[in-house]
Amino acid sequence: MNAQLRIPQLNPILIREARTRMRGARPYLILTIFLLVLILTTFGIYQYMVSQARSGTVVLSSHIGQALFKGLAFTEMFFIVLVAPILTSSAISSERERLTYDMLLATPLRPGQLLSGKLIGALSYLFLLIVASIPVFSIVLIFGGVSLRTLVLTVILLGGAALFFGTIGLFSSALIGRTVPAVILSYAIVLLICGVPLIIASIWPQFSTPPGQSPPPWLLYLNPFSAIVAVTTVVPMMPQPDLPFFSVSDPFMVIPFLSQFSTGIVRYAPEGPLLMPVYRATLLGFGLGTFILLWISSHLALPTRKWQPRWSDLGFVVVIGAIALVMWVTVEWWWIVPPVEPWLMPVDAPPIAPPMVP
Amino acid sequence: MTLAIETIELTHRYKKLIALDRLNLQVPQGCIYGFIGPNGAGKTTTLRLLAGLQTPTSGEIRLMGERLSSRLAQRFVGYMPDFFGVYDDLRVWEYLDFFARCYGLRGARLRQVVDELLELVDLSDKRDAFVQTLSRGMQQRLCLAHALVHDPPILLLDEPASGLDPRARVELRELLRTLRDMGKTIMLSSHILSELAEVCDAIGIIDHGRMLISGPLAEVQQQLATGSRVRMRIARESDVVLALTLLQHQPLVQTVSTVPADPRSLIVDFTQPIGEEQCATFLAELVSAGVAISEFSARSENLEEFFLRLTMANTG
Repeated sequence: MNAQLRIPQLNPILIREARTRMRGARPYLILTIFLLVLILTTFGIYQYMVSQARSGTVVLSSHIGQALFKGLAFTEMFFIVLVAPILTSSAISSERERLTYDMLLATPLRPGQLLSGKLIGALSYLFLLIVASIPVFSIVLIFGGVSLRTLVLTVILLGGAALFFGTIGLFSSALIGRTVPAVILSYAIVLLICGVPLIIASIWPQFSTPPGQSPPPWLLYLNPFSAIVAVTTVVPMMPQPDLPFFSVSDPFMVIPFLSQFSTGIVRYAPEGPLLMPVYRATLLGFGLGTFILLWISSHLALPTRKWQPRWSDLGFVVVIGAIALVMWVTVEWWWIVPPVEPWLMPVDAPPIAPPMVP
Repeated sequence: MTLAIETIELTHRYKKLIALDRLNLQVPQGCIYGFIGPNGAGKTTTLRLLAGLQTPTSGEIRLMGERLSSRLAQRFVGYMPDFFGVYDDLRVWEYLDFFARCYGLRGARLRQVVDELLELVDLSDKRDAFVQTLSRGMQQRLCLAHALVHDPPILLLDEPASGLDPRARVELRELLRTLRDMGKTIMLSSHILSELAEVCDAIGIIDHGRMLISGPLAEVQQQLATGSRVRMRIARESDVVLALTLLQHQPLVQTVSTVPADPRSLIVDFTQPIGEEQCATFLAELVSAGVAISEFSARSENLEEFFLRLTMANTG
């Protein structure tokens, strides 16, 4: 008999996930479909830009690069939002359904290890997809026009979204315990975060007082699509601010479909169009949300005394507190106060002409 | 004698439902203890409490003389749940490797444990097969092996024989005996009572969360023996009426009935257990009266009948 049991050092769940994740045809099928979608997106955007050039619009090489990058980043974000919750929403529930949950709980494996192993296992597959898409993304390099800062921000945003939406699936799985309802709950939360703000943003001008105002930026803070559009949009310098904003770099012009996801991202000020950097709040919000959901899930996954304080809570409190502190200190950086829209600004009364003196 | 498992006034409630009601259980070390009860009697709850997977509402659990904590349960208990779950996409050795890692084993020790356990449960030749391709009996043995990776002194097996064919049951029984010989204390629940009778040293019968009777198998059988039964077959049909008349006039006979499928077969229930000499005298009386008897067998009440009688009496 072992006198003492050791808590496993290298997460066994992670080792199991690594062994089994790529078994069978399904992972390869998803990878193939994902890459095909990206290739088709690239081809579609390129054809669109060529047609724009043929119709007389000035299309520079950098314009094509920017349009391709924006389209691919958006497609990748769409895929992550769609796939991350489904990869993790069976994490706990499948163990319960396969009746292996009790067997795991009877071992010294900690709920935190179970959750982190499942999350990292699922996310590693998502990161594999992202890495596999690099050759497709590299087409952008042929055309240029994308800065290193944009590239880094996009990668951070995609990674943050994968983590956050993966955690949503994990939370649903720990909360409900059955896979199908957990998947439904995950997508309901995703819809609440991604769909509802966009719908409200699109109807905001009709219901604002006075009518016609742009939606407030805070409405889009947690929306990954608004964030990716905000990162990848290039606002041109406007030599003549009074003229309407039309250019191939305009998010409303480059890929027409994206206009549905970019409401409220570009504002018009007297000095020209302004980009609302909502991605800052998105990144901080995803970080905070991820750790809060992980904290709750670590308690939900416990077999007994779910809400009894544990030492691991201290770690969560420290991390969540640190993120909250950073948010408080940097509030002026991420909390966006949009400029007053020009048409709402009070118009100076025309000078009264002095009376004519005969 | 040191007790491997002891529960003192163990009570567990699921909201208003009392699953266990002041259960007192004592299982000596190195014994195979059979836990019998109808569905919902509290067997699985008891095993889950012993494995540290649930916290009792009140009462105390002691394993190897120490008060239960989750760490203690992990160290002392190997637990096999009632419905065996498998990881479809794992190979047999990977399955054991995974659980061994969960218990903190690594390196050469881990590989050694996996090899030894595969040998113990006779699955060495299936080492690289996927778990889902194994037969039900093999899966059950593999699951039992998973509960042994950390070499615990106590094994808790919930319905280990359910769904197994007769051959697999025999193999499982042999494996349990081997484990007992290795010094393990095994507590198993089952509905297949004849299985328990063949393998268990002690049994406990539970119903509605209460222990009705518990102790060594022979003692329990003796305590519950309230009567005996004899089955006989009359060689000639014309003798059946005479035999019935003679039997009904015997003072120890409680009831005599014919078997519907075979009118020449009679079942005789006695008011008290009868010994071999009494049986011989009884048979001689019938033969001397001219009744030709082709078969005669005395039998005690079996475990299944005990169980039914006890649980029905408890329900009534």
